[in-house]
Amino acid sequence: MSLGTKRLGKELTKIQKTLPPGITLVKADDLQEWLLDIQVLDQNPIYAGETYRLKFRFGKQYPIEPPEVVFTKQENRPIPMHPHIYSNGIICLDLLGSSGWSPVQNVESVCMSIQSMLTGNTKNHRPEGDADFVSTNKARPKDIEFYYHDNEV
Amino acid sequence: MAADKAFDDIADSTDWLTTPLPGLAAVEAALRCQICKDFYNTPMLTSCNHTFCSMCIRRALAADAKCSLCRSVQEVSKLRSNWAMEEAVLAFVKTRADLLDLARKPPTVLTVEVPVAATSSSPAKRLRSSARKSKTRGAELTSEMARQEASFPVPSHHSVPAPDQTYNDGLVACPICLERMKEVQVDRHIDSSCPGAPRELPTQPPKQKFTSNTSNQRNGFQVLSTSAPAPPKPERLPTLSYSMLKDAALRKKLADLGIPANGTRQILEKRHQEWITIWNANCDSLHPKRKSELLQELEVWEKTLGARAPTSSRSIHLGEQIKDKGFDHAAWSAKHDSSFQDLVASARKTRAQALQKANQNQPTTETPSPPHSTGASTTTPAAAAPSSASPSRMDVDQQAPLSMVQPPTNPGSAAAPSYEYTTPCMPDRSYAMSELPHPPPLEAAAALDRSRNGASEPS
Repeated sequence: MSLGTKRLGKELTKIQKTLPPGITLVKADDLQEWLLDIQVLDQNPIYAGETYRLKFRFGKQYPIEPPEVVFTKQENRPIPMHPHIYSNGIICLDLLGSSGWSPVQNVESVCMSIQSMLTGNTKNHRPEGDADFVSTNKARPKDIEFYYHDNEV
Repeated sequence: MAADKAFDDIADSTDWLTTPLPGLAAVEAALRCQICKDFYNTPMLTSCNHTFCSMCIRRALAADAKCSLCRSVQEVSKLRSNWAMEEAVLAFVKTRADLLDLARKPPTVLTVEVPVAATSSSPAKRLRSSARKSKTRGAELTSEMARQEASFPVPSHHSVPAPDQTYNDGLVACPICLERMKEVQVDRHIDSSCPGAPRELPTQPPKQKFTSNTSNQRNGFQVLSTSAPAPPKPERLPTLSYSMLKDAALRKKLADLGIPANGTRQILEKRHQEWITIWNANCDSLHPKRKSELLQELEVWEKTLGARAPTSSRSIHLGEQIKDKGFDHAAWSAKHDSSFQDLVASARKTRAQALQKANQNQPTTETPSPPHSTGASTTTPAAAAPSSASPSRMDVDQQAPLSMVQPPTNPGSAAAPSYEYTTPCMPDRSYAMSELPHPPPLEAAAALDRSRNGASEPS
C-alpha cells in the first residue's frame, strides 16, 4: 500500500462519516476518482437552490501532488457561474496548482475552499476568453499555467 | 460501495465522536501527521516547529522545499527528532483499542452506582443518568489509567549505570564516543562535540542492559546505548545534484548503495531520491530497521510508483527529454499534432524545392549518375529524401535546419501552445490558502459558519 492509498482510505472513512454542511459524497468506488456534490448555503442569488458536482481525480503521488478537481456537468448539475470557473468545469484556483497545493490539504478542505470561493462571489459571469479557452484547451487542468492577474475578484 | 468495506477497519480520530468521550477525537487528531493522516511515525520537527512523520516531510520537501503547513522554506538537514511526540503516540496507540472498547461499551457495570434505573422511561431522566454514568465512567477510566500507570515498570534511567559497578559515579556514557558525562549533557554532547567514534575503549565494554521492558525505556540515549556496541548507527545519505552526474556515474552510485541500478535516467533519479528518503527516515527512527527491510520498502515503491508501476507511466519515461515528471504525452501530441504536421509538410516542401533546384543547376553533371536523378525527380518527398542523401549532402545540411527553424506559417494551425494561454485569473486572497499559518480550511469554515449564521437568522 503506497502512501496515497492509505491516506485516501483514511480520508474516505472520515468523509463517509462526517462532512461539513452543503458537501455530500456521491461516489467513491475506488481510490482514483470521487464525485462530491456541493451547495452554496447562504442566500447568494447566483447559486441559490443549485447543486454542483465536483470530480476529484487522484494521481499516484497524492497527497504530495494535488488532485485534479473539476466541475462536471450533468442533468441538474450545472457548472457554476464564476469568473474563475470555465464553462467546461475547469477551476482556476491556486490551491489546486502545484504552487498553491500543500499535502496537508485534503478532499474536504478543497471542497470547502471551492464552496467559500462561490459564497464570496458577486460576479455572474465566466472568465474572460472562456469560449476560446474551452474550444482550444486539450491539456489536463494541472498542466494549464493559469495567469493570475486580476486582483479584484 | 466496494471501497467502504476495505477501509472499515481504518482507525480514525472520528471514531471517538460517537462515544461519550468525543474530546478524545481532538487528542487523537493531535497525534496524527497532517500529511499521511496516520499516527506519527518517527515524528520530526521542522525549524518552523511543525511536526510530521520523517518519511512524509522528507518526501514533501523533496517535491517542494517548503513546510507543508506554513510554507516557510525548510531544509531536510534542519529536521530534528520529536521524541516526546513519539512517546506520546506509542503510549496512546498501545492503549487506544482498550480505551475505545471501554468508551463504546454500554455502561452496564455501573448501573449499581446509579440509583435511577437505566431503563427509566423518561428521555430526560435517561439523559441525566447517562450523563452521570459517563461521568463516573470517566472517573473509572482515570483510576484505571492510574492503576495501569502504577503497574508499569518504572522507566528508570538511574538504574542504567548501576549494573556496571566500575562506573558507579552517577554519570552515563555517551552512546557513541563512550565518554562519561552527566545524563543531561548527553543530548547536547551528541549534537555538538561528540567525535562520532569511541575516543578510547573503556576498561569494560558496556553491558547489554536491556531485556523485556526495553519498550518502556524511551529516553533517547538509553535506547541508543543499546545499539552502540552492536551495529554502528547508520549514517544519513547526502542528496545528489543529479544534473552534475552522468548516467554511468549515477548507476555506479546506485550500485554502491546496493539498490537496483537499472532503468531509465528518470527512474534512476527517482529511485535514488526514494532510497534517500527511506534511508534517512530510518536513520531518524529510534529503532532503525535492517537494510533488507528497507530494500523491501523500496521494492514496494518500485511496484507502485517506480519502474514497475502499472498503468501508462512507461510511456512517460519514453519521453525523457521532457523532464517534467507528470508530463501528459497524449495531450501534448494531440495539441501539437497540427504543428507537427505543418513542420513535416514544410520540411518536405523545402526538400523537394532544394532537389528541384539542384537538378536545374546541374542537369548535365548529374546525368552520369542515373539512380540519383530518378530518385530526385520523383514527386513524393518521402521517397526523395533517402535517395538524395549521397548526391546533395550539402543541400540536406543547409536546408534541413532552415525548415526546422521556420515556425509553422500556417495561420489556421493551433500552433500557439495553450500552456501560454493567459487566463484572467488571480488567486483570490479570501481563499488563497498559501499565507495562512495553519490548516486554513478551519478558518474558512469558521468564516463560513459566521456568514451562515448571520444569513440564517431571519428565517
